[in-house]
Amino acid sequence: MTAANSLPDARPVATGSRSGVRRAQRFGLYALLVLVAVIAGGPLYWLISSALKTNPQIYSYPPHWIPTDLHWSNFSDAWRAAPFGRFFLNSLIVSVIGTAIELTAALLCAYAFVFLPFPGKKVLFLFLLGAMMVPGHVTLLPNFLTIAQLGWVNSYAGLIAPGLGSVFGTFLLRQHMLTLPQEITDAAKIDGAGHLRILFRVVLPMSRPMVITVALVVMVGKWNDFIWPLIVTSSTDMRTLPIGLLFLKNTETFANWGAILAGAVMVVVPVLVMFFFAQRYIIAGLTQGAGK
Amino acid sequence: MTRTALREVTGPVLDRRRMLGAGAGLGLAATLSACGQTTGPVAQPGGGSVPDAFRGRTRVVLWSTFADPVGPALQNLVDAFNREQRDVYVEVQFQGTYDECAQKAVISLLGAQAPDLCVLSDVKWYKFYFGDALEPWDSYFARGELERTYNPRLLSEGVRKGHTWWLPLARSTPLFYYNKTLFKKAGVPVRPPESYDELYDWSRHITRQSVGGKRVALEGYQKVDGDWQFQCSAWQWGGAYSKGLDVTIDEGGAVAAGEWQRKLIFRDEIAYMATEPTADMGNQLIATLVTSTGALKKINEMAKANGWELGTGFLPKKEKFAVNTGGGGLGIFKRVPRERKEAAAQFVRFLARPENAARWAIETGYLPVVSAAVKEPTLVKLMKNDPAFATAVRQLDLTRPCDQVRMMIPNANVRIYTALQRIWSANTSAQQAFAEVADQLRKGVNRYGPMIEEHL
Repeated sequence: MTAANSLPDARPVATGSRSGVRRAQRFGLYALLVLVAVIAGGPLYWLISSALKTNPQIYSYPPHWIPTDLHWSNFSDAWRAAPFGRFFLNSLIVSVIGTAIELTAALLCAYAFVFLPFPGKKVLFLFLLGAMMVPGHVTLLPNFLTIAQLGWVNSYAGLIAPGLGSVFGTFLLRQHMLTLPQEITDAAKIDGAGHLRILFRVVLPMSRPMVITVALVVMVGKWNDFIWPLIVTSSTDMRTLPIGLLFLKNTETFANWGAILAGAVMVVVPVLVMFFFAQRYIIAGLTQGAGK
Repeated sequence: MTRTALREVTGPVLDRRRMLGAGAGLGLAATLSACGQTTGPVAQPGGGSVPDAFRGRTRVVLWSTFADPVGPALQNLVDAFNREQRDVYVEVQFQGTYDECAQKAVISLLGAQAPDLCVLSDVKWYKFYFGDALEPWDSYFARGELERTYNPRLLSEGVRKGHTWWLPLARSTPLFYYNKTLFKKAGVPVRPPESYDELYDWSRHITRQSVGGKRVALEGYQKVDGDWQFQCSAWQWGGAYSKGLDVTIDEGGAVAAGEWQRKLIFRDEIAYMATEPTADMGNQLIATLVTSTGALKKINEMAKANGWELGTGFLPKKEKFAVNTGGGGLGIFKRVPRERKEAAAQFVRFLARPENAARWAIETGYLPVVSAAVKEPTLVKLMKNDPAFATAVRQLDLTRPCDQVRMMIPNANVRIYTALQRIWSANTSAQQAFAEVADQLRKGVNRYGPMIEEHL
């Protein structure tokens, strides 16, 4: 057999072996991804499936992984025990309005830190970073006293106002804006654009993934916030969803876990839906600047 | 309230469990900012008004700690009150757990706002009392009315210096629950054991059984707040958490009780620390349990659902019989205007009517706090049909409040149950775990003792 003749015979063998390795690698990767997905999704599955179980099924040993018959009444029990519709509306108002204002403020601040020259900019930014180190709980009492003096206790204004200054959002957006090409904003200036126009017509379109990422992080934070709404609201009609869950669990008696988990599903699902639709922006936002 | 007194309140009340971080921060913030109002009348929290249907009445805001199913039971009584009379309108505002409610009350008082009535636990009310934030109830009732109305044993727990600062409402006591079906199958007497020694003798028969492929354990010890049940064990073994404010948890009976439980867990392997022991009891993972009367209704439901028969009894004894009380009561704050306090007292009087107190006990599982309630036909019927509920009522006469150090030293209960967790899960010797906690408690006594003694 000549060398020329042997090559065609040899190639398929080598290709087959390589593709076999590739197949095995892909299989391994998929297996790993499935495993990670099961680990990550397991608690969510357990939450949703348990929300459809009876209490004895929830507590049963060995565990019932799949509910035998779907116990939808957990949702109606939760709904009856507390006005979840109202809580949902309150959470939505606080999250959406709060996020919109906070994001706008963060955008303006970040822009100022990047594009406006002013004395003490670096020192001010260091102060801003310092503020990120202060635990939120330390400001709880001063915030409450301020809100009480303004007469905003038990109101949407009281729920929203203290969270409007977003140091985290400002920081993240500033770091992102620093990576934008200076030439583009310079060109806009030469064309006669003012700062607001540059911000909203030039910088913002180039920052969409980061802005959406910050918006989602801020919104989820507000959606899940427990302590401030607990402190600043008193009446049932001003409560938000995380506090609503408290209505379902009495501390001294046996918990109706079916209803509690149904309530938790109601809290979690909107956040999941939001992430589902915005995930590509989040990934783009968080990986911006990572590749060269 | 003086600034010093306020700091005493803020510190102890705020540093608990879920809001531990918040507590530390708030205590610091209160000290640093010194901007809260500590004198003068307080407004109702967040404004609010009387609904049109009840226009013209005095509005009373009640801060409650009762979620489902106890919360709706309270709301039913409030609705009945609002329907019945013309001068007062009561609005219930749920504020989370005992801890969360107390923490909110502190912050609200600093913001010159407060509810007119507040549910405070047996541990929490002391902090407000020591901080001079509470108003005694006596002047809102006729002479002797409180004594004639309430169970004297429970009422006395809220009395200090001749005044009643805290009225019983949702009071409970630990009960001994046992699985009659497992006892029967094990061939041991189907009754509550007289003593822990007797129960231990039975344990080798009981724990030989399996349910659902899992060996049945004798007992489960409650991971969080287990210091409440363990208080009984400390007494039963002849010890105590403290005598007055003299800490004794690291001595004698308390240590022996801790060692007993450690032996059951790690040597005999027939007990364990449980996250939710009531659920384990319901699923027959454990055959006996010491827990609150409040769990009675649900354990009974699970027993029926899982096909076994529940029994209850007095707690077993060791050297002696001993059982404590727990739960919540009602307080009013000094800075609330007199008119609203009087209106609040009208509602409290309504709750204390025998028929309403009986209804409350039936719907919630809490002890009947009003003496005459046990003669109400509905309660008499329940006690006849449900011996388990009758056990709780009969045991009430034998209860006593927890030791002072647990009730009055900030965070004492958390420190004690954390030490218990070390015994139950890490096999730490009771002597070592309790010696460390005793040291912490003594520091607390040194710090707060003079203020406490001044108020007792």
